[in-house]
Amino acid sequence: MKMADVAGFKRRKDESLTKGKLRGLGYACYIEACGIAPSNVAGSLGARAGLFEAGEIRVHPTGTVTVFTGSHSHGQGHETTFAQVVADRLGLPMENVDIVHGDTSKVLFGMGTYGSRSIAVGGTAIVKALDKIIAKGRKIAAHLLEAAEADIEYDRGVFKVAGTDRQKTFGEVAFAAYVPHNYPLDKLEPGLNENAFYDQTNFTFPAGSYVCEVEVDRDTGATQIVAFTAVDDFGKIINPMIVEGQVHGGLAQGIGQALTEGCRYDSTGQLLTGSFSDYAIPRAGDVPLFKLDTRETPCTHNPLGVKGCGEAGAIGAPAAVMNAITDALGVKDIPMPATAQTVWRSMHKAA
Amino acid sequence: MHAFEYHRPSNVKDAVALVLKKEEGRYLAGGQSLVQAMKLRLSSPTDLIDLNAIGDLKALKAESNAVTIGAMVRHAEVAASSGVRKAIPALASLAGIIGDRQVRHMGTIGGSLANNDPAADYPAAVLGLGATIVTSKRKIEADKFFKSLYETALEPGELITAVSFPVPKRAAYMKFKNPASRFAIVGVFVADFGGKVRVGVTGAGPCAFRQTDMEKALASKFAPESVANIKVKADGLNNDLHASPEYRAHLITVMARRAVEAAIK
Repeated sequence: MKMADVAGFKRRKDESLTKGKLRGLGYACYIEACGIAPSNVAGSLGARAGLFEAGEIRVHPTGTVTVFTGSHSHGQGHETTFAQVVADRLGLPMENVDIVHGDTSKVLFGMGTYGSRSIAVGGTAIVKALDKIIAKGRKIAAHLLEAAEADIEYDRGVFKVAGTDRQKTFGEVAFAAYVPHNYPLDKLEPGLNENAFYDQTNFTFPAGSYVCEVEVDRDTGATQIVAFTAVDDFGKIINPMIVEGQVHGGLAQGIGQALTEGCRYDSTGQLLTGSFSDYAIPRAGDVPLFKLDTRETPCTHNPLGVKGCGEAGAIGAPAAVMNAITDALGVKDIPMPATAQTVWRSMHKAA
Repeated sequence: MHAFEYHRPSNVKDAVALVLKKEEGRYLAGGQSLVQAMKLRLSSPTDLIDLNAIGDLKALKAESNAVTIGAMVRHAEVAASSGVRKAIPALASLAGIIGDRQVRHMGTIGGSLANNDPAADYPAAVLGLGATIVTSKRKIEADKFFKSLYETALEPGELITAVSFPVPKRAAYMKFKNPASRFAIVGVFVADFGGKVRVGVTGAGPCAFRQTDMEKALASKFAPESVANIKVKADGLNNDLHASPEYRAHLITVMARRAVEAAIK
């Protein structure tokens, strides 16, 4: 409310009135069940598929890594975020990590990108596979360093014997796995390639509070969103810029739902909004500059502490926008989308 | 899109001869409506006669008493023209809000008028300013040009070559945009010629028309309050998913009032 300068709203409302505009303030708080989904719960709700995700880590002899993920990326930036998770976990430079997705002849299995699940479910599957890589790496390193496996620590790309300076880099261990001249072949398979399937134990629950401010043209009913503030708790954030972009996109989509988008049919069932010259998706001019902030209360049941952020904007925005319009008009309800004509009619009914 | 023959004449005479000779020949100007219609197979000409190579159609002349725009002048060129902006700023600003950036860099005034889309912007200015449409065979007054939905006074083969706009004392165009297509749900062009006032309305009816009640009221006093209380009848106005006839009728008054406010400023 401080970010949205709610205290100054009355002054802004009076200013708008001098320009023939009705200003309204709308709030929306949401909580969403994301990270879809524990398969047994999904099954009991009628889903006819498991909702786990799969990840595979292939470490190459050079110590570079290819990650195969079932979470497809079509603009959400998994290539960056997932590479960050892997690079961070293994202590490798990001450029040593390749992300492969979207090819069913390569990836193990994929349930898809939806339900704000990619990082929470797909990311966790990758982390589980990484843990297996590190566990096997410790065994190889213990052999190479002639130490007990229990004494091997892994830290920032280096396996070392605890309390000593004896160590092997991740690359040296990978090389030994693929050129097993000095290798415990009696106890361990060569190679360094692991996969994991992860099924959530619970949904994740991102939540947020949104404040929207609109100006409604008294003459035409046209609504302009003049300010929008969104504060979300997505749990741990891996990549703030991507999260911000996801929120921007979600908000634009939510604003579109509230103000402009709607499928309309005529009495014979013919779709009237069959092209973008009739179906109005929001454009840059339809959305304001967003004021955003985040909170990071970690999710308690996945190792990354992440909750997901893909849908947040689209969930909170429509309610915040509609509440702002009804506040401006002093009415209880108005149908979506609140096009200029719909708002104009509502004003005339109210008058 | 169905197959067609493509022609690119270099002068008006050849273009007219070609269009008349072919089974179903159509002039191609900026192609912003025709090509879309062809893609949807709503239009299937046997021959396209491309006007883009005809230099004579591309002249733009702004003088103190009239602005003459060649048929093939693009909207973006009109919007950016310092001559037009000086002589009839309202016309330049109208051209600057047609469609979107891509449309404005391809679409032409001749194409827009010949197509006579009910929601196109230029017809409001042509009527509002009382322009003269110059064709390959005659001059047509604005009031006699727009006939009905997509219908004009143009005869078979007749080609618009230029449009001449008299320079008013003051004028303004106000448009209430379709949020999806950016066409006019209602657009009102108001021009004051010093005692004589014209009001051209687009988007509201089957084709652009003049609002004579407003013209009379503004002629006696060119002020927003002269039109603010004029109630336009909804009968015969367009009804579509974006706006009912009643809403359009209301918007005509609002846009006219705002156009007068803008013209006075």
